[in-house]
Amino acid sequence: MKMMYGMLMALTPAVIWSVYAFGPQALVRVLAGVIAAVAAEAIFQKLTRQKVTVKDGSAAVTGMLLGMAVSISTPWYAVSVSAIFGIIAGKQLLGGFGKNLFNPAMYGRLFYLFVFPDSILPWRQPFDLSTAATPLEILRETGEAAGVPILDMFLGRIPGTIGEISSLMLLLGFSLLVYRKFVRWRIPAAAFSVVLVMALAVGHNPLFYFFAGSLMVGACFMATDPMSSPRFPKGQLIFGAGVGFIIMMMRWFGWQTPGAYEFTEGTTFAVLAMNLTVPYLNKKFKPAPKK
Amino acid sequence: MPESSIIRAISVIVVMLVVGFGWFPIGFSRLKKKGVEEEAARKQAKLDAKKYSILGAFFYMIFMLSLVRLFL
Repeated sequence: MKMMYGMLMALTPAVIWSVYAFGPQALVRVLAGVIAAVAAEAIFQKLTRQKVTVKDGSAAVTGMLLGMAVSISTPWYAVSVSAIFGIIAGKQLLGGFGKNLFNPAMYGRLFYLFVFPDSILPWRQPFDLSTAATPLEILRETGEAAGVPILDMFLGRIPGTIGEISSLMLLLGFSLLVYRKFVRWRIPAAAFSVVLVMALAVGHNPLFYFFAGSLMVGACFMATDPMSSPRFPKGQLIFGAGVGFIIMMMRWFGWQTPGAYEFTEGTTFAVLAMNLTVPYLNKKFKPAPKK
Repeated sequence: MPESSIIRAISVIVVMLVVGFGWFPIGFSRLKKKGVEEEAARKQAKLDAKKYSILGAFFYMIFMLSLVRLFL
C-alpha cells in the first residue's frame, strides 16, 4: 500500500511539468484515467461481492500511468474507457492485485492504441501547442538521432505523451522510489544498458534514446510493476534487457503503414511481451534455498 | 466516441468471450479426465478460461495492429 502511494508521489513531478507545459488539459486526461480506474475497480468488486480495495492505491496508479501515456490531443473519454478495460480485463478478471498476467496500465494502453489509433495525433509542442513531430518521428524520417537538442529532451520541451516529455521530472520521481526501496532497480538498469549498447553500436548518441519517447517512464515506472515483473534478480535483469531490446527494435523497425499512425515507439509492446515471460523467469531463476 | 472505435472495442470483447466460453468446456473436461473433483475442476477451468481470454485479446490486438490493420 505504501509502495503504491509512493508511486503516485513519484509520478507527480512529471504530471506537474506536463500541466505547466500543456496546460490544464493534461491534468484532465490524468484525472480521467485515475477516476475511471478507481471507479471501475470499486464497482467491479462491489458487483462481484469482493472486498473493495481501491484504498490500496494500485488502481489509481494504473489510471495515472494510463493518463500519462496518452497525448494531449487524446479525448478524455478514450483515457477513461481504456482505464476501465485495463482494470477489469487486465487486473480484476484474474482476481485482482497480485494475480494479473499483464501490467494493467500497459494492457489498457494496448486497448487504447487498438481502439483509438489516431487519437494520439497530432503531437503538440509544449507551451505553444503547435503541431510538431516527436524526436522518434524525426529519427524515423531522417534515420539520424540528431537535430533535437538533448537538453530540451531532458527538461521536457519536446512533443510527446503527457507523462514522457520530461526525463528530469521522471528521474526525480524514480530517485524517490529507489531511495525508499520501492522499485526493482535492476529492470531499468538492464533496459538502459541494452539501449546504451545498441545506440553505441550504430554510432548514435545514447542520450537521445534515453530521453526520447517513453523509455524513461516505461523502464522506470511500468516495467517495474511488482505484480507483473520477475521476483528474482537474474530474472529482473533478463526482463529489463528484453524491454530495452524490444523498444530499440520498435524504434528502428516499428510498424509502418502508409496513411495510418506509425508506431515509432514500442514501450507498450515491450513491457507486455516481457510480462509473458515472467512465470518462466520466476521458475528458472528462483534461488536455491540456503542450507 | 467514433463508430469505428465502438466496433473495435466490441470486437475485442467478442474475442474475449469466444475464447473464454470456448475454452471452459475443453478445460473442464480435460481436468475431469485427469481425475480432478468436479467443483475444483470447474473453478480451475473458469480461471483458465479467463486467463486465455485475456491472452486471446492481447494476441488479437497485436495481430490486428501489426499484420492486418483491418479497421485502420
